[in-house]
Amino acid sequence: MAPLYALGCEGSANKLGIGVISHDPTTNTTRILSNVRHTFNSPPGTGFLPKDTAAHHRAHFVSVAREALRAAGLTDPARELSCICYTRGPGMGAPLTSTAVAARTLAALWGLDLVGVNHCVGHIEMGRFITGAANPVVLYVSGGNTQVIAYAEQRYRIFGETLDIAVGNCIDRFARTLQIPNDPFPGYNVEQVAKKAFYTVAADRTTKTPRDPVLLDLPYAVKGMDCSFSGILGAADLQAAQMQKQDALLAAGGALKEGEQRITREDLCFTLQEVVFAMLVEITERAMAHVGSKQVLVVGGVGCNERLQEMMGLMARDRGGSVYATDERFCIDNGIMIGLAGLLAWETGFRTPFEESTCTQRFRTDEVHIKWRTD
Amino acid sequence: MAAAMETDQFPCVLTVQVPFPTARLASVALQSLQVDKELSPLVRRTFTISPPAGDANTTGDQDKTLHVEYRATTNRMLRVAVNSFMESLNLVIEVMEHLDADVLAAEAHST
Repeated sequence: MAPLYALGCEGSANKLGIGVISHDPTTNTTRILSNVRHTFNSPPGTGFLPKDTAAHHRAHFVSVAREALRAAGLTDPARELSCICYTRGPGMGAPLTSTAVAARTLAALWGLDLVGVNHCVGHIEMGRFITGAANPVVLYVSGGNTQVIAYAEQRYRIFGETLDIAVGNCIDRFARTLQIPNDPFPGYNVEQVAKKAFYTVAADRTTKTPRDPVLLDLPYAVKGMDCSFSGILGAADLQAAQMQKQDALLAAGGALKEGEQRITREDLCFTLQEVVFAMLVEITERAMAHVGSKQVLVVGGVGCNERLQEMMGLMARDRGGSVYATDERFCIDNGIMIGLAGLLAWETGFRTPFEESTCTQRFRTDEVHIKWRTD
Repeated sequence: MAAAMETDQFPCVLTVQVPFPTARLASVALQSLQVDKELSPLVRRTFTISPPAGDANTTGDQDKTLHVEYRATTNRMLRVAVNSFMESLNLVIEVMEHLDADVLAAEAHST
Protein backbone atom coordinates (compact mmCIF):
# COMPACT_ATOMS: atom_id res chain seq x y z
CA MET A 1 0.00 0.00 0.00
CA ALA A 2 1.27 3.44 -0.90
CA PRO A 3 1.80 6.05 1.82
CA LEU A 4 -1.13 8.31 2.67
CA TYR A 5 -0.86 12.09 2.75
CA ALA A 6 -2.62 14.64 4.92
CA LEU A 7 -2.67 18.42 5.21
CA GLY A 8 -2.78 19.75 8.78
CA CYS A 9 -4.03 23.25 9.70
CA GLU A 10 -3.31 24.61 13.17
CA GLY A 11 -4.51 27.96 14.48
CA SER A 12 -5.57 27.57 18.12
CA ALA A 13 -3.32 30.34 19.44
CA ASN A 14 -0.99 32.93 17.87
CA LYS A 15 0.69 30.56 15.40
CA LEU A 16 -0.80 29.68 12.06
CA GLY A 17 0.81 26.41 11.00
CA ILE A 18 0.12 24.38 7.86
CA GLY A 19 2.04 21.30 6.79
CA VAL A 20 1.94 18.10 4.77
CA ILE A 21 2.77 14.75 6.36
CA SER A 22 2.70 11.21 5.05
CA HIS A 23 2.16 7.94 6.87
CA ASP A 24 2.43 4.43 5.53
CA PRO A 25 0.06 2.19 7.50
CA THR A 26 1.75 -1.04 6.41
CA THR A 27 5.29 -0.09 7.43
CA ASN A 28 4.26 2.54 10.01
CA THR A 29 6.74 5.02 8.56
CA THR A 30 6.05 8.73 8.80
CA ARG A 31 7.57 11.48 6.68
CA ILE A 32 7.34 15.26 6.93
CA LEU A 33 6.98 16.93 3.53
CA SER A 34 6.50 20.52 4.67
CA ASN A 35 6.04 22.46 7.89
CA VAL A 36 5.25 26.16 7.41
CA ARG A 37 4.42 28.53 10.25
CA HIS A 38 3.58 32.23 10.59
CA THR A 39 3.43 33.74 14.07
CA PHE A 40 1.43 36.74 15.24
CA ASN A 41 3.59 38.74 17.65
CA SER A 42 2.12 41.59 19.65
CA PRO A 43 4.36 44.47 20.84
CA PRO A 44 6.40 44.08 24.10
CA GLY A 45 4.24 44.46 27.19
CA THR A 46 1.10 43.20 25.46
CA GLY A 47 -0.46 39.81 24.80
CA PHE A 48 -2.21 38.54 21.68
CA LEU A 49 -5.95 39.19 21.64
CA PRO A 50 -8.37 36.72 19.99
CA LYS A 51 -9.73 39.22 17.46
CA ASP A 52 -6.31 40.37 16.20
CA THR A 53 -5.00 36.81 16.14
CA ALA A 54 -7.97 35.59 14.08
CA ALA A 55 -7.40 38.46 11.64
CA HIS A 56 -3.74 37.40 11.37
CA HIS A 57 -4.69 33.80 10.55
CA ARG A 58 -7.21 34.92 7.90
CA ALA A 59 -4.69 37.27 6.32
CA HIS A 60 -1.94 34.63 6.06
CA PHE A 61 -3.88 31.41 5.45
CA VAL A 62 -3.60 31.43 1.66
CA SER A 63 0.12 32.25 1.50
CA VAL A 64 1.04 29.74 4.24
CA ALA A 65 -1.09 26.98 2.63
CA ARG A 66 0.40 27.63 -0.82
CA GLU A 67 3.92 27.53 0.61
CA ALA A 68 3.12 24.23 2.41
CA LEU A 69 1.91 22.68 -0.87
CA ARG A 70 4.83 24.06 -2.87
CA ALA A 71 7.45 22.86 -0.36
CA ALA A 72 5.82 19.41 -0.29
CA GLY A 73 5.80 19.29 -4.09
CA LEU A 74 2.03 18.77 -4.31
CA THR A 75 0.31 20.16 -7.42
CA ASP A 76 -2.92 18.17 -7.34
CA PRO A 77 -3.87 17.95 -3.65
CA ALA A 78 -7.40 16.76 -4.48
CA ARG A 79 -5.87 13.50 -5.74
CA GLU A 80 -2.72 13.35 -3.63
CA LEU A 81 -4.18 13.95 -0.15
CA SER A 82 -6.40 11.65 1.91
CA CYS A 83 -7.82 14.26 4.26
CA ILE A 84 -7.69 17.82 5.59
CA CYS A 85 -7.01 17.95 9.33
CA TYR A 86 -7.79 20.99 11.46
CA THR A 87 -7.57 21.84 15.15
CA ARG A 88 -10.97 21.41 16.76
CA GLY A 89 -9.74 22.62 20.17
CA PRO A 90 -8.76 23.44 22.83
CA GLY A 91 -7.69 27.02 22.17
CA MET A 92 -8.99 30.53 21.57
CA GLY A 93 -12.39 30.57 19.86
CA ALA A 94 -11.89 33.19 17.15
CA PRO A 95 -8.49 31.97 15.86
CA LEU A 96 -9.71 28.34 15.92
CA THR A 97 -12.81 29.24 13.92
CA SER A 98 -10.94 31.33 11.35
CA THR A 99 -8.65 28.39 10.59
CA ALA A 100 -11.54 25.91 10.54
CA VAL A 101 -13.46 28.03 7.99
CA ALA A 102 -10.48 27.90 5.62
CA ALA A 103 -9.88 24.17 6.25
CA ARG A 104 -13.54 23.43 5.43
CA THR A 105 -13.25 25.44 2.22
CA LEU A 106 -10.19 23.42 1.16
CA ALA A 107 -11.91 20.11 1.95
CA ALA A 108 -15.03 21.17 0.02
CA LEU A 109 -13.03 22.48 -2.98
CA TRP A 110 -10.87 19.37 -3.18
CA GLY A 111 -13.64 16.89 -2.28
CA LEU A 112 -11.72 15.48 0.71
CA ASP A 113 -12.67 14.27 4.18
CA LEU A 114 -12.32 16.60 7.15
CA VAL A 115 -10.78 15.40 10.41
CA GLY A 116 -11.11 17.51 13.58
CA VAL A 117 -8.10 17.00 15.85
CA ASN A 118 -7.52 17.55 19.56
CA HIS A 119 -4.57 19.92 19.81
CA CYS A 120 -3.02 18.10 22.82
CA VAL A 121 -3.21 14.71 21.08
CA GLY A 122 -1.47 16.33 18.10
CA HIS A 123 1.44 17.40 20.32
CA ILE A 124 1.72 13.91 21.87
CA GLU A 125 1.68 12.01 18.55
CA MET A 126 4.20 14.42 17.02
CA GLY A 127 6.51 14.05 20.05
CA ARG A 128 6.26 10.25 19.95
CA PHE A 129 7.06 10.20 16.23
CA ILE A 130 10.01 12.62 16.37
CA THR A 131 11.68 11.15 19.46
CA GLY A 132 10.73 7.49 18.99
CA ALA A 133 9.58 7.27 22.62
CA ALA A 134 7.08 4.41 22.49
CA ASN A 135 5.09 4.80 25.69
CA PRO A 136 6.37 7.74 27.73
CA VAL A 137 4.86 9.80 30.51
CA VAL A 138 4.07 13.06 28.71
CA LEU A 139 4.54 16.51 30.15
CA TYR A 140 2.54 18.89 27.96
CA VAL A 141 3.50 22.47 28.76
CA SER A 142 2.52 25.49 26.67
CA GLY A 143 0.94 28.93 26.88
CA GLY A 144 -2.52 27.42 27.19
CA ASN A 145 -2.01 23.99 28.73
CA THR A 146 -0.11 22.28 31.55
CA GLN A 147 -0.78 18.56 31.93
CA VAL A 148 1.02 15.37 32.98
CA ILE A 149 -0.34 12.58 30.82
CA ALA A 150 0.09 8.80 30.58
CA TYR A 151 -1.47 6.39 28.11
CA ALA A 152 -3.74 3.56 29.21
CA GLU A 153 -6.34 1.60 27.27
CA GLN A 154 -6.76 3.86 24.23
CA ARG A 155 -6.90 7.13 26.18
CA TYR A 156 -4.30 9.71 27.06
CA ARG A 157 -5.15 10.06 30.74
CA ILE A 158 -4.46 13.23 32.70
CA PHE A 159 -2.57 12.54 35.92
CA GLY A 160 -2.02 16.12 36.96
CA GLU A 161 -2.63 19.58 35.58
CA THR A 162 -2.67 23.27 36.41
CA LEU A 163 -5.42 24.50 38.67
CA ASP A 164 -5.43 27.97 37.14
CA ILE A 165 -3.19 29.42 34.37
CA ALA A 166 -0.78 27.46 32.17
CA VAL A 167 2.93 27.57 32.98
CA GLY A 168 3.65 29.22 29.61
CA ASN A 169 1.04 31.86 30.32
CA CYS A 170 2.74 32.55 33.67
CA ILE A 171 6.13 33.01 31.95
CA ASP A 172 4.69 35.02 29.01
CA ARG A 173 2.81 37.39 31.30
CA PHE A 174 5.89 37.89 33.45
CA ALA A 175 7.78 38.75 30.26
CA ARG A 176 5.16 41.45 29.66
CA THR A 177 5.71 42.79 33.20
CA LEU A 178 9.41 43.23 32.39
CA GLN A 179 8.68 44.49 28.85
CA ILE A 180 10.62 41.56 27.39
CA PRO A 181 9.86 41.23 23.63
CA ASN A 182 7.44 38.60 22.29
CA ASP A 183 9.59 37.91 19.22
CA PRO A 184 10.49 35.11 18.49
CA PHE A 185 8.56 34.04 21.57
CA PRO A 186 8.51 35.39 25.12
CA GLY A 187 9.57 32.18 26.89
CA TYR A 188 12.75 32.01 24.80
CA ASN A 189 13.62 35.60 25.66
CA VAL A 190 13.01 34.99 29.38
CA GLU A 191 15.34 31.98 29.15
CA GLN A 192 18.07 34.17 27.60
CA VAL A 193 17.70 36.80 30.34
CA ALA A 194 17.87 34.03 33.00
CA LYS A 195 21.19 32.81 31.56
CA LYS A 196 22.66 36.25 32.23
CA ALA A 197 22.13 35.72 35.97
CA PHE A 198 25.26 33.51 35.87
CA TYR A 199 27.70 36.32 35.14
CA THR A 200 28.19 40.06 35.44
CA VAL A 201 29.35 42.24 32.57
CA ALA A 202 31.87 45.00 33.25
CA ALA A 203 30.87 48.61 32.55
CA ASP A 204 33.00 48.66 29.39
CA ARG A 205 31.04 45.56 28.20
CA THR A 206 34.22 43.66 27.36
CA THR A 207 34.67 41.27 30.29
CA LYS A 208 32.30 38.81 31.90
CA THR A 209 32.77 37.66 35.50
CA PRO A 210 30.99 34.51 36.71
CA ARG A 211 28.58 34.97 39.60
CA ASP A 212 26.14 32.79 41.51
CA PRO A 213 22.56 33.62 40.55
CA VAL A 214 20.32 34.68 43.44
CA LEU A 215 17.26 32.54 44.06
CA LEU A 216 14.69 35.11 45.13
CA ASP A 217 11.66 34.37 47.26
CA LEU A 218 8.72 32.95 45.26
CA PRO A 219 6.00 30.55 46.44
CA TYR A 220 6.10 26.87 45.44
CA ALA A 221 2.61 25.60 44.67
CA VAL A 222 2.24 21.86 44.08
CA LYS A 223 -1.07 20.45 45.33
CA GLY A 224 -1.07 16.69 45.06
CA MET A 225 -0.59 15.97 41.36
CA ASP A 226 -1.68 19.48 40.36
CA CYS A 227 0.09 22.84 40.15
CA SER A 228 -0.91 26.45 40.59
CA PHE A 229 0.87 29.28 38.79
CA SER A 230 -1.26 32.41 39.23
CA GLY A 231 -0.01 33.14 42.77
CA ILE A 232 3.58 32.72 41.61
CA LEU A 233 2.99 35.21 38.81
CA GLY A 234 1.47 37.65 41.32
CA ALA A 235 4.47 37.29 43.65
CA ALA A 236 6.93 37.70 40.77
CA ASP A 237 5.10 40.85 39.63
CA LEU A 238 5.42 42.26 43.17
CA GLN A 239 9.16 41.56 43.14
CA ALA A 240 9.42 43.29 39.75
CA ALA A 241 7.61 46.34 41.17
CA GLN A 242 10.04 46.36 44.11
CA MET A 243 12.95 46.20 41.63
CA GLN A 244 11.60 49.24 39.78
CA LYS A 245 11.39 51.15 43.09
CA GLN A 246 15.02 50.26 43.75
CA ASP A 247 15.97 51.38 40.23
CA ALA A 248 14.30 54.77 40.80
CA LEU A 249 15.87 55.17 44.24
CA LEU A 250 19.36 54.37 42.98
CA ALA A 251 18.95 56.59 39.91
CA ALA A 252 18.06 59.48 42.23
CA GLY A 253 21.32 58.94 44.12
CA GLY A 254 19.74 57.11 47.06
CA ALA A 255 20.93 53.88 48.69
CA LEU A 256 19.22 50.59 49.56
CA LYS A 257 18.38 49.84 53.18
CA GLU A 258 20.90 47.87 55.23
CA GLY A 259 20.69 44.20 54.21
CA GLU A 260 18.12 44.77 51.42
CA GLN A 261 18.56 42.40 48.49
CA ARG A 262 19.08 44.21 45.17
CA ILE A 263 16.62 42.61 42.75
CA THR A 264 17.63 42.24 39.08
CA ARG A 265 15.74 41.21 35.94
CA GLU A 266 18.19 38.36 35.46
CA ASP A 267 17.67 36.90 38.94
CA LEU A 268 13.91 37.31 38.60
CA CYS A 269 13.79 35.36 35.33
CA PHE A 270 16.19 32.75 36.74
CA THR A 271 14.09 32.33 39.89
CA LEU A 272 10.79 32.09 38.05
CA GLN A 273 12.15 29.34 35.79
CA GLU A 274 13.75 27.38 38.65
CA VAL A 275 10.57 27.43 40.76
CA VAL A 276 7.98 26.57 38.11
CA PHE A 277 10.17 23.94 36.45
CA ALA A 278 10.91 22.29 39.83
CA MET A 279 7.15 22.00 40.36
CA LEU A 280 6.71 20.37 36.93
CA VAL A 281 9.58 17.94 37.56
CA GLU A 282 8.04 16.94 40.90
CA ILE A 283 4.63 16.02 39.50
CA THR A 284 6.15 14.34 36.44
CA GLU A 285 8.37 12.18 38.65
CA ARG A 286 5.39 11.13 40.73
CA ALA A 287 3.48 10.14 37.58
CA MET A 288 6.49 8.11 36.34
CA ALA A 289 6.70 6.30 39.70
CA HIS A 290 2.97 5.59 39.57
CA VAL A 291 2.86 4.09 36.09
CA GLY A 292 6.34 2.53 36.31
CA SER A 293 7.66 4.37 33.24
CA LYS A 294 11.29 5.40 32.71
CA GLN A 295 10.65 7.62 29.68
CA VAL A 296 9.42 11.19 29.86
CA LEU A 297 8.41 13.12 26.77
CA VAL A 298 8.18 16.91 26.98
CA VAL A 299 5.91 18.57 24.39
CA GLY A 300 4.39 22.03 23.90
CA GLY A 301 6.06 25.40 23.47
CA VAL A 302 7.62 25.48 26.96
CA GLY A 303 9.14 22.07 26.12
CA CYS A 304 11.85 23.74 24.05
CA ASN A 305 13.22 25.49 27.14
CA GLU A 306 16.68 23.99 27.61
CA ARG A 307 16.70 24.53 31.37
CA LEU A 308 13.44 22.55 31.70
CA GLN A 309 14.90 19.77 29.54
CA GLU A 310 18.06 19.76 31.68
CA MET A 311 16.14 19.56 35.00
CA MET A 312 13.85 16.87 33.62
CA GLY A 313 16.92 14.96 32.33
CA LEU A 314 18.56 15.01 35.78
CA MET A 315 15.42 13.59 37.37
CA ALA A 316 14.97 10.93 34.66
CA ARG A 317 18.63 9.85 34.90
CA ASP A 318 18.29 9.40 38.68
CA ARG A 319 15.44 7.01 37.93
CA GLY A 320 17.51 5.15 35.30
CA GLY A 321 15.54 6.63 32.41
CA SER A 322 15.76 9.45 29.93
CA VAL A 323 13.99 12.55 28.70
CA TYR A 324 12.73 12.95 25.14
CA ALA A 325 12.29 16.45 23.80
CA THR A 326 12.06 18.10 20.40
CA ASP A 327 13.18 21.45 19.07
CA GLU A 328 11.07 24.48 18.23
CA ARG A 329 10.04 23.14 14.78
CA PHE A 330 7.93 20.42 16.40
CA CYS A 331 7.51 21.58 20.02
CA ILE A 332 5.84 24.84 19.15
CA ASP A 333 2.39 24.64 17.58
CA ASN A 334 2.59 23.46 13.97
CA GLY A 335 0.42 22.06 11.21
CA ILE A 336 2.05 18.65 10.81
CA MET A 337 1.24 17.56 14.36
CA ILE A 338 -2.43 18.12 13.51
CA GLY A 339 -1.91 16.35 10.18
CA LEU A 340 -0.27 13.33 11.83
CA ALA A 341 -2.84 12.85 14.62
CA GLY A 342 -5.64 13.43 12.08
CA LEU A 343 -4.23 10.97 9.55
CA LEU A 344 -3.80 8.26 12.21
CA ALA A 345 -7.46 8.75 13.17
CA TRP A 346 -8.55 8.81 9.51
CA GLU A 347 -6.84 5.44 8.92
CA THR A 348 -9.05 3.93 11.64
CA GLY A 349 -12.15 5.25 9.84
CA PHE A 350 -12.64 8.46 11.81
CA ARG A 351 -14.25 11.34 9.88
CA THR A 352 -15.66 14.72 10.94
CA PRO A 353 -18.82 15.41 8.90
CA PHE A 354 -19.04 18.99 7.58
CA GLU A 355 -22.09 19.87 9.66
CA GLU A 356 -20.22 18.76 12.82
CA SER A 357 -16.90 20.43 11.93
CA THR A 358 -17.12 23.09 14.63
CA CYS A 359 -14.47 24.24 17.10
CA THR A 360 -14.52 24.17 20.87
CA GLN A 361 -12.44 26.17 23.32
CA ARG A 362 -12.61 23.35 25.87
CA PHE A 363 -11.68 19.88 24.64
CA ARG A 364 -9.93 17.64 27.15
CA THR A 365 -7.11 15.32 26.11
CA ASP A 366 -8.86 12.28 27.63
CA GLU A 367 -12.04 12.78 25.58
CA VAL A 368 -10.37 11.35 22.47
CA HIS A 369 -10.56 7.63 21.70
CA ILE A 370 -6.99 6.69 20.64
CA LYS A 371 -8.14 3.93 18.33
CA TRP A 372 -4.81 3.74 16.47
CA ARG A 373 -2.89 2.50 19.50
CA THR A 374 -3.46 -1.10 20.51
CA ASP A 375 -0.83 -1.46 23.22
CA MET B 1 -48.00 34.50 14.34
CA ALA B 2 -44.55 33.00 14.76
CA ALA B 3 -43.28 35.16 11.93
CA ALA B 4 -44.76 38.22 13.61
CA MET B 5 -42.98 37.37 16.87
CA GLU B 6 -39.74 36.98 14.93
CA THR B 7 -40.15 40.44 13.41
CA ASP B 8 -41.07 41.91 16.82
CA GLN B 9 -38.09 40.54 18.66
CA PHE B 10 -35.57 40.76 15.81
CA PRO B 11 -36.57 43.95 14.02
CA CYS B 12 -33.17 44.72 12.49
CA VAL B 13 -32.77 42.82 9.23
CA LEU B 14 -30.08 42.70 6.56
CA THR B 15 -29.89 40.36 3.58
CA VAL B 16 -26.55 39.82 1.87
CA GLN B 17 -26.54 38.37 -1.65
CA VAL B 18 -23.26 36.91 -2.85
CA PRO B 19 -23.19 35.86 -6.50
CA PHE B 20 -20.65 33.13 -7.32
CA PRO B 21 -19.41 32.23 -10.81
CA THR B 22 -20.61 28.62 -10.45
CA ALA B 23 -23.14 26.65 -8.41
CA ARG B 24 -20.30 24.51 -7.09
CA LEU B 25 -18.52 27.51 -5.53
CA ALA B 26 -21.77 28.80 -4.04
CA SER B 27 -22.27 25.41 -2.43
CA VAL B 28 -18.67 25.31 -1.12
CA ALA B 29 -19.19 28.72 0.51
CA LEU B 30 -22.45 27.57 2.07
CA GLN B 31 -20.81 24.43 3.48
CA SER B 32 -17.90 26.37 4.93
CA LEU B 33 -19.86 29.25 6.43
CA GLN B 34 -23.02 27.75 7.87
CA VAL B 35 -21.33 25.35 10.33
CA ASP B 36 -20.34 27.80 13.08
CA LYS B 37 -23.29 28.88 15.21
CA GLU B 38 -23.98 32.55 15.80
CA LEU B 39 -22.43 33.25 19.19
CA SER B 40 -25.12 35.66 20.37
CA PRO B 41 -28.74 34.65 21.10
CA LEU B 42 -29.65 38.17 19.98
CA VAL B 43 -28.87 37.31 16.36
CA ARG B 44 -30.57 34.85 13.97
CA ARG B 45 -29.36 33.93 10.53
CA THR B 46 -30.48 31.81 7.59
CA PHE B 47 -28.52 30.64 4.56
CA THR B 48 -30.10 29.76 1.20
CA ILE B 49 -28.84 29.28 -2.33
CA SER B 50 -31.03 30.46 -5.20
CA PRO B 51 -30.87 32.48 -8.42
CA PRO B 52 -30.27 36.23 -7.94
CA ALA B 53 -33.41 38.08 -6.82
CA GLY B 54 -35.63 39.24 -9.71
CA ASP B 55 -33.53 37.20 -12.09
CA ALA B 56 -35.29 33.88 -11.63
CA ASN B 57 -35.95 32.86 -15.21
CA THR B 58 -33.61 35.01 -17.26
CA THR B 59 -30.51 32.86 -17.56
CA GLY B 60 -31.81 29.35 -16.97
CA ASP B 61 -28.68 28.95 -14.87
CA GLN B 62 -28.35 26.79 -11.81
CA ASP B 63 -28.62 28.39 -8.39
CA LYS B 64 -25.38 30.18 -7.76
CA THR B 65 -26.17 33.07 -5.45
CA LEU B 66 -25.72 32.72 -1.71
CA HIS B 67 -28.40 34.57 0.26
CA VAL B 68 -27.71 35.26 3.91
CA GLU B 69 -30.42 36.89 5.99
CA TYR B 70 -29.40 38.34 9.33
CA ARG B 71 -31.96 39.33 11.98
CA ALA B 72 -30.94 40.96 15.24
CA THR B 73 -32.50 42.66 18.25
CA THR B 74 -30.48 45.85 17.76
CA ASN B 75 -28.60 47.48 14.91
CA ARG B 76 -25.41 47.16 16.92
CA MET B 77 -25.75 43.38 17.17
CA LEU B 78 -26.61 43.25 13.47
CA ARG B 79 -23.47 45.19 12.56
CA VAL B 80 -21.20 42.99 14.71
CA ALA B 81 -22.64 39.77 13.26
CA VAL B 82 -22.54 40.92 9.63
CA ASN B 83 -18.99 42.27 9.98
CA SER B 84 -17.85 38.92 11.30
CA PHE B 85 -19.63 37.13 8.45
CA MET B 86 -17.95 39.37 5.86
CA GLU B 87 -14.51 38.57 7.31
CA SER B 88 -15.14 34.83 7.00
CA LEU B 89 -16.64 35.25 3.53
CA ASN B 90 -13.57 37.15 2.41
CA LEU B 91 -11.34 34.29 3.59
CA VAL B 92 -13.47 31.69 1.79
CA ILE B 93 -13.33 33.63 -1.48
CA GLU B 94 -9.58 34.14 -1.17
CA VAL B 95 -9.06 30.39 -0.65
CA MET B 96 -11.22 29.69 -3.72
CA GLU B 97 -9.25 32.16 -5.80
CA HIS B 98 -5.79 30.84 -4.94
CA LEU B 99 -6.19 27.20 -3.89
CA ASP B 100 -8.95 25.65 -6.00
CA ALA B 101 -7.81 22.54 -7.90
CA ASP B 102 -8.01 24.18 -11.38
CA VAL B 103 -5.97 27.19 -10.19
CA LEU B 104 -3.21 24.94 -8.83
CA ALA B 105 -3.29 22.76 -11.96
CA ALA B 106 -2.99 25.79 -14.23
CA GLU B 107 -0.01 27.08 -12.25
CA ALA B 108 1.71 23.66 -12.28
CA HIS B 109 1.17 23.50 -16.03
CA SER B 110 2.58 26.97 -16.71
CA THR B 111 5.83 26.45 -14.76
